[in-house]
Amino acid sequence: MTRNTLFRLGDWGIYALFIVIVLGLPLMMDDVFWLNRIAKYLVYGMLGIAIALSWGYAGILNLGQGLFFGLGAYMVAMSLKLQSYTSMQQGSDRPVPDFMLWNAEPGAPTELCCIVKGSWLWLPFQAQWFGMVMAIAVPVIVALILSSAIFRLRVSGVYVAIITLALVLLVRLLIIDAQPVTNGFNGLTDLGWLTVAGIEFDPYMVSTYYIVAVSTCAVLLLTRWLVSTRAGLILQSTRDDPNRARYLGYDVAAYQVFFFTVSAGIAGFAGMLYVIAAEFASPSFLDITFSISMVVWAAVGGRSSLIGAAIGAILINTIEATASETEMFQEAWKLIIGVIFVLVVLYMPRGLAGLAQDLAGRIADARVGGKQRARTGAPAE
Amino acid sequence: MVAALTIDALEVDFGGFKAVDGLTTVIDEGELRVVLGPNGAGKTTLMDLISGKTGSTGGEVRLFGRDITNRPEHQIARAGVGRKFQIPSVFRDLTVHDNLRVAVSQVPGVFRNLRLGMAAADRARIEEVIALTGLEPVLDTVAGDLSHGQMQWLELGMLITQQARVILLDEPTAGMTQAETLKTADIILSLKGSHTLLVVEHDMAFVRKIAERVTVMHMGKLLAEGPMAKIEADPAVREAYLGTGGLH
Amino acid sequence: MTETLFIGLSLSSILLLIALGLSITYGAMGVINMAHGELVMIGAYTAVLSGIYLNLNFFLALPLAFAVSALVGMALERLVIRRLYGRIIDTLLATWGVAIVLQQLIRLEFGLSFFGIHVEGLGPGLQSMDVPSFLTQPFEIGGVPIQPYRSFIIVVTLLLTLLTWFLMYRTSMGTQVRAIMRNPQIAAACGIDVRRVSAFTFAYGSGLAGVAGVLLAGFKTVMPDMGASTVVDGFLVVVVGGVGSLLGTVLASGLLGQINGVFAILFNDILARAVVFGVVIAIILWRPRGLFSFRSR
Repeated sequence: MTRNTLFRLGDWGIYALFIVIVLGLPLMMDDVFWLNRIAKYLVYGMLGIAIALSWGYAGILNLGQGLFFGLGAYMVAMSLKLQSYTSMQQGSDRPVPDFMLWNAEPGAPTELCCIVKGSWLWLPFQAQWFGMVMAIAVPVIVALILSSAIFRLRVSGVYVAIITLALVLLVRLLIIDAQPVTNGFNGLTDLGWLTVAGIEFDPYMVSTYYIVAVSTCAVLLLTRWLVSTRAGLILQSTRDDPNRARYLGYDVAAYQVFFFTVSAGIAGFAGMLYVIAAEFASPSFLDITFSISMVVWAAVGGRSSLIGAAIGAILINTIEATASETEMFQEAWKLIIGVIFVLVVLYMPRGLAGLAQDLAGRIADARVGGKQRARTGAPAE
Repeated sequence: MVAALTIDALEVDFGGFKAVDGLTTVIDEGELRVVLGPNGAGKTTLMDLISGKTGSTGGEVRLFGRDITNRPEHQIARAGVGRKFQIPSVFRDLTVHDNLRVAVSQVPGVFRNLRLGMAAADRARIEEVIALTGLEPVLDTVAGDLSHGQMQWLELGMLITQQARVILLDEPTAGMTQAETLKTADIILSLKGSHTLLVVEHDMAFVRKIAERVTVMHMGKLLAEGPMAKIEADPAVREAYLGTGGLH
Repeated sequence: MTETLFIGLSLSSILLLIALGLSITYGAMGVINMAHGELVMIGAYTAVLSGIYLNLNFFLALPLAFAVSALVGMALERLVIRRLYGRIIDTLLATWGVAIVLQQLIRLEFGLSFFGIHVEGLGPGLQSMDVPSFLTQPFEIGGVPIQPYRSFIIVVTLLLTLLTWFLMYRTSMGTQVRAIMRNPQIAAACGIDVRRVSAFTFAYGSGLAGVAGVLLAGFKTVMPDMGASTVVDGFLVVVVGGVGSLLGTVLASGLLGQINGVFAILFNDILARAVVFGVVIAIILWRPRGLFSFRSR
């Protein structure tokens, strides 16, 4: 058995193990509150995957991934808000969000079309499928437009990070400012449950966990397939040397736009699932802190490993939740994560995945007796 | 027969300074053309103009009769122009094998590349190139870890894999040892006939080994053109190189 | 009209105050220091603490805060950033971690709160600093009301900018810094002690953050995360102005501050900030190297 075959087996082994654990968790854990929490962290894991895809494989650091997460979240939250109990209490036979009523001018009609300025935008969201479609479509369209502008103009490196960061802040302010239709700082709360074919998905039900868990595994496998294709290889080549790729005949911007948009679509999808599990959407999804946190998770897990980034996100958040049981420890944990993060960047730039690879490399070397010591290509998983 | 590469009154103006100034030359299919000239003569700029890195301000570049002037780089590459840089430009984080895989670019679009594996014909071509460049022992090595010579050969190999019909080589032997230079000359000579080559080079021993027709540039203009022997005897060329003691 | 301009000017001067240090650490050294805001915060706490424990007044706090932030910055350079030169994205990530650590150290009173010890002036709560009364009484000159504290900020910013310009363009140290900016390898080959100069440059940029912190403390409440929101604004100013261009930083802060001021009056503060972000995005797309950057090929 060659070293490379060993590596590939180990790699698939980790994927299989991850999927088995994620899907089998409800059998081992009957605490629904924890299950709901884990579902949220799986969503974060999905965000880690999205970051690894754009940062690790495409070399594009998106510091505004929260924009796509937030857009996805708001789209589906609008639909679920209209299905909530509080939206039906308005004395109208059709739902109107409670906060609109509080914001409405005295004497304004209690109809969704015209209760406050711009509230007609909510009309199509009365259909739940519309919100769910928009949760993917809106982030994808925004990402398509944004990335086309960025990459056609050949903006690169840190400037991409700054543009994405400025944009997420801009949209955050717009959401806050459009208080009558978005409920501003408070975000959308008191949401209804996802209802598919007459079945209501209570966030604290095992079936809701499974929606998130299956989605996470699917996204993981899908992205893994994407980066294994020729397109994925070409993408990595554009990261290493965009000019070389151009002189080989590839339209570099097209590859960057495609993968940036896929990454944004995943983030939007994650936003949608988060709302289903957490029952709120808030402008804090578009805070810089959140967007940078995603990058932190991916960096700790391994910036150029999809599964590493996912595990990094899940692990950090699970530990944080455990630590947050006492307030004192919560503050101390923040201190610890800050220190860990500095150390990871300084001494472990390939993150946990890099550590695992080195370890696996040593075992493989011992197995094949030091033959075939050639380095394998990065980023192997 | 249509010429492989036609450069017609090509000109670029960098704010008053014309790095290439009304250059005209025709390169036949299968020809190996060497471009000579003192530093600053505009040789590399000429390559930039052909490959689309720099936009020209006048004149035309035609590839097998097709106008490729000022097209985006990837379209020029697609039309059949391959370029090797002075400083080796390969994908440093990918293995040698992956570098060559990327270079097989029959279909450039994103969606048509969303598939695993490779066509048998492509695989066969990569094997040929590996044999030609002698990169077999380092296939699984990350390109960034290669020696300088190996990196140059890999880049050359990528151009061949790419099926470029016209290959631009910018100082392919810069920084090479004597043995590496000889091997590079062999690779280049083996391409003659099947490919059209345009080579910028300073190493005169190397030029004498490979050159047939030579174009001499001076201050952005064509100074002389013809077989090597005639060029070496040309008084205008000697004049241009006077400060450096003539061609040596 | 003059009042709008004045509001814009005072917003500009605060932007410039924060961006000035960044234009040095980012522009000169290629370090995206996300902990810059925390150095601002440390400056503010220095003013608060020196008021409580040393009875120092506001004016004496300025040089003290400069020194404290400069020392912290120097330690940061030596312990973290020195290992990351040339890896610009990694400097951003590592200093993000540092920023969290610094915030938590203040919030947890250097860990003393674990032992139930409270240090007055530290902790998660809000602090405030006393500003001498003559700086808080508005007065009129020829019928135009003048905000003395805002004017004071503008004057200090102006002086610091001039000082920075002088250091960068009129001293041999400044020449060395600018040489490192263009090409650190060649600078080192020319006999410049890149490490030493980098350490001092970073300390100076950090010290400027400390001064900014004291001035901010005069009109904002002091709390552990007060700096975090300022750093992004500072970066946008530096990038828009053109990395490595002091003049660009000055003009960009003027431009963005005025835009903010004008739109705040036309609409509201929130939309004004949104407009500023929009302008920044447009400028970076249009000229990724900023409005005033030196050309390099």
